[in-house]
Amino acid sequence: MDILSAWIALIPVTLAQSLILSFVVLAVMLPFRILAFPDLTSEGAYPLGGCVCAVALVAGVPPLPALLLAAAAGFLAGCATAFIHLRFRIHTLLAGILITTMLYSINLRILGKANLPVFNEPKIYDWLAGLSLTGSWAKILLAGGLALITCLALNLWFATERGTAMRAVGANSDMAEAQGINVWRATIGGIGLAGAAAALGGGLMVQSQGFADVNMGLGVLINALAALMIGEAIVGRRTVMRQVAAPFVGALVYYQLISICLAAGLPPGDLKIATGVFVLAMLAAPTLGLRRKGGGTPAKESFRE
Amino acid sequence: MLQIRDARRVFFRGMPDEKVALDGLSLKLARGDFAVVIGSNGAGKSTMMNAVSGALMLDQGSITINGTDVTAMPVHDRARHVARVFQDPMKGTAASMTIAENMLLAEMRQTPARLRRGLTPARRETYREHLSYLGLGLENRLDTPVSLLSGGQRQSLSLVMAVSGEPDILLLDEHTAALDPRTADLVLNATLRAVSALKLTTMMVTHNMAHAIDYGNRIIMLDAGKVLLELSGEEKARATVPDLIGHFSVKSDRMLLGA
Repeated sequence: MDILSAWIALIPVTLAQSLILSFVVLAVMLPFRILAFPDLTSEGAYPLGGCVCAVALVAGVPPLPALLLAAAAGFLAGCATAFIHLRFRIHTLLAGILITTMLYSINLRILGKANLPVFNEPKIYDWLAGLSLTGSWAKILLAGGLALITCLALNLWFATERGTAMRAVGANSDMAEAQGINVWRATIGGIGLAGAAAALGGGLMVQSQGFADVNMGLGVLINALAALMIGEAIVGRRTVMRQVAAPFVGALVYYQLISICLAAGLPPGDLKIATGVFVLAMLAAPTLGLRRKGGGTPAKESFRE
Repeated sequence: MLQIRDARRVFFRGMPDEKVALDGLSLKLARGDFAVVIGSNGAGKSTMMNAVSGALMLDQGSITINGTDVTAMPVHDRARHVARVFQDPMKGTAASMTIAENMLLAEMRQTPARLRRGLTPARRETYREHLSYLGLGLENRLDTPVSLLSGGQRQSLSLVMAVSGEPDILLLDEHTAALDPRTADLVLNATLRAVSALKLTTMMVTHNMAHAIDYGNRIIMLDAGKVLLELSGEEKARATVPDLIGHFSVKSDRMLLGA
């Protein structure tokens, strides 16, 4: 009973956290699944967004423009990764690692020190104070609303001509090029969009926790990947709508699982092994025949070199 | 319509295995010409196709389509003029996308993608009609992912996609070579019907000499990166399979002696 009540008490906090981090899961899904461009940039773009947002808040920028600045910075980081892959033919994963490594120094420069508190600056969540919503519920409503809007907007985007063209670049880039699609523009734009999503998550997190830290990105990528795998196991990947919904569903479920682990008394240090087990279970399930047909992840995928 | 002037392309320049793929190749196709391109392996057929489509840039020379110099134009811009069907059915379609989405991509060769709805009901109706000409029933499977189609069905779809929007130049790169004989016939017949109905300027690479004799109005034989033989009109009508193969043996003898 203790575990249950401890978990229930954690639900609002966990929900708020998972909705904020669902943007990072989205930032992993877009390059990986839509553009066939496995990418690690979000590990650097997420703290970049956090640092830019914190510095902007301290400089007196209102909460929403601060988030937009964060997203713009993340967009540039994503563009940089895509560009060095396309121009110098560096493997996508290595390109992301390079940018993430360089971003650590940049983030430290932006922040000026390792940690910057923004407790007293106005936050975007204050907007809902008028509805007498405070604490976690304000965050849940705001981040949840933003996630819902993003999810719907992406669905609309992928139904447009340009969105279809972007998907084609991931499905078969040579073919896409032969059909008149500018592969560079679609790739740079798409990876940039993912970077913006990760940075937006970072900005939302800084406004939620009240401080920015250069190390806030540590391990965020593997969490996001775990959430994505869980989300895809639940909603599948058969249609664009399911693929776009998977990050959000996955984030909600994954952080509740982590919360249960914590409620059960697992020391925080052991969470990494729990995360690893979740990812492994999701990836291994199709080969063990535990899941229904058609919904699973194919064992082999082809990605751009 | 299509003019290739003095095209030159060298691979591995300055290395021991330097290979001159195109050695001053010149070629001119008039509007509506259907040229069948033959030649031994390594004669430069694929390099020429890649050069026309823009997948490969020339070291020297120029390519003009419809009076526009496209020599330095990247693939995605050249797509407005050139459509291509590859030998590998996997190359011409996006497997994870549906038949209708692939048709939409082909349509966007002519009208670049904009921020508006892609698959409108009107478009789906058009695609249904275009696909029905194949007689494969693909028109009733618009929302099926292409990965679920057979090689022949995929290649037929590639063909419909390539001829949609009536490209200035249609390139067929041994597009029936990977198919079983019956399916190959089916795809070839669909090709011939589309090319004659739309009067497309076409270059078809093949290793089937009978096809070279039977189809098209010109035969172009490449050797060592140059045009070795060009037959049209009366000459083409008189040509026989042994004649054509005779031109190949000259090359193989030399290869044998040279080796």
